[in-house]
Amino acid sequence: MSKVRPSPWPSPPAGEGTGAAGSLSPFEGESDWPAGRMRAQFNTRFNGLTMRAAKNTKRNLVTAALVAPAAAWLCVFLVLPFIAMLVFAFCERAPEGGYQAAFTFAQFANLPTRAAAFWNTLMLAPAGALLCLLVAYPVAYYLAVRANPRYRLILVSLVVVPFWTSLLVRTYAWMYILGSRGIPNLLAMIGIEDVRMLNTPGAVLLGIVYGYLPLMIMPIYVSLEKLDRRLLEASADLGAKPVSSFFGVTLPLSLPGVMTDVALVTILLLGEYLIPQLLGGGKVFFIGNALVDLFLQSRNWPFGSAIAVTLVAVVVVVLMVAMRIAWKVAGTRQVDLV
Amino acid sequence: MRALVSSVYLFLYAPIALVVLFSFNAGRNASEFTGFSAAWYGKALSNTFLVSALQNSLMIAFTSATLAAVFGTMAALGMERLGPRMRAFFDALFAAAIVVPGVVIGIATLVALVAVFSFVNPALAMIWPGDHPPQLGLGYGSIIAAHGLFSMALVAMIVKARIASLGRDIVEASSDLYATPLTTFRLIVLPQILPSILAGFLLAFTFSFDDFIIAFFVAGSKTTLPIYVFASIRRGVTPEINAIATLVLVASLLLILTARVLMRETKSKSGE
Amino acid sequence: MTKWYRENAPITAEKLADELMRLKRGSVTRRHFLGVTGLGLATAVLARAPGLFNATAFAEDLGTQMSLATWPNYHDPATFEAFKAATGVAVEVNVFGSNEEMLAKLQAGGTGWDLFVPTNYTISTYAKLGLIDELDLSKLPNYDASTENARFTNEGVIDGKTYAVPKNWGTTGIAVNSAKIKKPVTSWKEFFEVAMAEADGRAMVHDYQLTTIGNALVSLGYSFNSVKPDELAKAEELLIKVKPHLYAINSDYQPSMRATDAWMTMCWTNDGAQLNRDMPEIQFVLGKDGGEIWSDFYAIPKSAANKAAGYALLNYLMTPENAVKEHIANGAPTTDSRVLKLLPADVTSNKIVYPDEAALTPLEFGAAVTLTDPGRAELMARFKSA
Repeated sequence: MSKVRPSPWPSPPAGEGTGAAGSLSPFEGESDWPAGRMRAQFNTRFNGLTMRAAKNTKRNLVTAALVAPAAAWLCVFLVLPFIAMLVFAFCERAPEGGYQAAFTFAQFANLPTRAAAFWNTLMLAPAGALLCLLVAYPVAYYLAVRANPRYRLILVSLVVVPFWTSLLVRTYAWMYILGSRGIPNLLAMIGIEDVRMLNTPGAVLLGIVYGYLPLMIMPIYVSLEKLDRRLLEASADLGAKPVSSFFGVTLPLSLPGVMTDVALVTILLLGEYLIPQLLGGGKVFFIGNALVDLFLQSRNWPFGSAIAVTLVAVVVVVLMVAMRIAWKVAGTRQVDLV
Repeated sequence: MRALVSSVYLFLYAPIALVVLFSFNAGRNASEFTGFSAAWYGKALSNTFLVSALQNSLMIAFTSATLAAVFGTMAALGMERLGPRMRAFFDALFAAAIVVPGVVIGIATLVALVAVFSFVNPALAMIWPGDHPPQLGLGYGSIIAAHGLFSMALVAMIVKARIASLGRDIVEASSDLYATPLTTFRLIVLPQILPSILAGFLLAFTFSFDDFIIAFFVAGSKTTLPIYVFASIRRGVTPEINAIATLVLVASLLLILTARVLMRETKSKSGE
Repeated sequence: MTKWYRENAPITAEKLADELMRLKRGSVTRRHFLGVTGLGLATAVLARAPGLFNATAFAEDLGTQMSLATWPNYHDPATFEAFKAATGVAVEVNVFGSNEEMLAKLQAGGTGWDLFVPTNYTISTYAKLGLIDELDLSKLPNYDASTENARFTNEGVIDGKTYAVPKNWGTTGIAVNSAKIKKPVTSWKEFFEVAMAEADGRAMVHDYQLTTIGNALVSLGYSFNSVKPDELAKAEELLIKVKPHLYAINSDYQPSMRATDAWMTMCWTNDGAQLNRDMPEIQFVLGKDGGEIWSDFYAIPKSAANKAAGYALLNYLMTPENAVKEHIANGAPTTDSRVLKLLPADVTSNKIVYPDEAALTPLEFGAAVTLTDPGRAELMARFKSA
């Protein structure tokens, strides 16, 4: 089997794709596969020029047909709405609310009035993700390394099951637990009166950790499980104590996965609305809440659009910073962030 | 270590236990337990709004996940055949569809659709021959499309990763044996990527079924289960909500269990 | 033929028979019967022999469900159960925290509401924006404009056209849990002082620009309706100073007050009456420095999908016998003298519901300009995101 690729098919020279910043697939350099490879064989066998041209068109048609629905979808429901937002961000609020045509930078100039919400979000989102990690890592480690293999599958499933009960309903349960009939009531029984838990940053953080825990545990578990156990055994054979094995081998090897995971949860949290809405009582405000308010109370579409565009920009910046850190830690650029 | 892990499990399940417990509450409100009763299950199932919200959610989740699985898989296969620039472009778009916050997707879709409708509907009215021209509006279509966007990107990513990790020898062998590309796909590639497609479908279904914020903006007059639950948190939750949540939980547990049993059976059969 | 007439029949034969039986048993009055089945429809049906149903011009299909947009804790759930039993139409109740939110939803389109409950000062804007229709009073035979108190109902009529009919009136005062807060609170000035002292972390304000900004303005000695930038700036300063001390910013304060998570809140008459009825330690006071007096209306959105059911429910609610139950459960004062006559004495003598005229003097009706003033909208949004 020759590895030589016939020229007419549009494909990258081997090895190019892997280093590109935007590429997420580790095998890109060897793409055009399987179809391209099969066609390569076809061509070496039949090498007829007209046939090749016909095949070329057909191949492009097939590729286009495969990609077209997704492309259309992305255009109409991602690109178009985003362009609409960009356009609206330069409009004005109509007197009764909504928007009217204009070209103004006033909305962007007004952004500093939401500095507090941006600040809150940029503090609480990473804090929430890190707290989540602190809770998730030991569980993932236990499941991957320590748990009895007989019960491992059940224990792992149990982490995922909460996902199948509505997050709204579960968060509502927390409203009850943190409200005065819940934990404060128990505290009152032992003499600690009038404790307030609901509608505090702490309550929101707790809701965040709770909501995102399964999302944090699972990928870490998967990366820990993939660890080559022989490394641990070797480490033990060389006389390392379990603790130093953990810090010397397990932790460094799982770090890239952990980093990606923290970045992913942080990014998801940047757009959080429900948890602060329900557990923050309108007092702990994320940008998502400010955004919803602008559309559902002030009816200021242009300013809301400007905030939305800014939020997306923040997400992209955070994503890029996180990827850079992840590359450093992993020592490679092959990190799947999403 | 054990104690720590157990307490995390307790943390995960305490609210769920509470939800289930209150579904059996005899009292009217979800904040005081006054005795056991299964009456709320009957009430929940005879509440037309709650049941239709559940039906809407199931229908929307199923449709958007199916479309996402089909188009996402097609895109993943197609992207392998694209040039590097186009592929990077698609990669970026899919990544954007995943990382752009739901609240932005919801609002942007709403704003764009309202703007488009404000042009299209009068135009339709002008060219329509009859008296009642069709009016485009928010509804099932917009929810399915907005959910499908995220789900499709998710499926495409998962399937693409799977394709990338596939063993290539078997495909080469297949084409050496003069199998057509389609046959190779059907007999060799598809079976290998099917689990990933299924996993993507399930994730997409779960995402759509549980999503509140996107649907909240683009649902128009339609109500999904999360929208109904959110509205009832504002007007006062009755144990009906707990009953429905419990039923959904039990149904999904049964599904997982069945899937596990089926998988074990196929595994043991193929093992023999 | 069978299928055809079933689909076109205004109500199904079974349902009609059911209603007739109820009428015969005397469990509903004839008036109720005519009301629920629709007056025109009832006459049409009674004039014909059974089995000869035809789709007639005035017979309207009510469908099986409709949607109502209203305020938290604002209706007696039994009302909707009775309406469903009478007409077969199930009512979906959606609650909102502010008129702005209702307006935003209607402006974005596709709400699906068939009836909603706007407050006095918003109606002229809704009419101007073409979001509500003039009501067809012939479909509301149980509404009687002559028995309504014009002080509360005039804002439903614009240029002689009736766009909305009144639900009830009320005030925005202060609910205080006297078991938790010993200091008497008698004014909005004291409300904000106590919120930062004795009620630190336990006071609530509405998620609603009109009352939250309005009462802050009142506490500073300005008009409830002010849109003057310098006065609004002072109010903003106060609100932002108070914010860290609040328990929550939420218009649905009943659950928190009942659970004693919150001890003091801005409060509407009806909630005040309900809270005080169940927990006498929660008192309702009107600010002696001012505040809001209001009336809520029923209106039908232009975009309503099931207007027939919207009218049917509205007519049902306008029937004094039905309205009186609503008023007893809800606790807000009525605008309709027919209803007032039917209300028990313990309701009409309740000073929370029917305060002395002197207590109402400092109060102001909300002004239309506050709904659309961009300064107030942006202030509220800044306050919340601060």
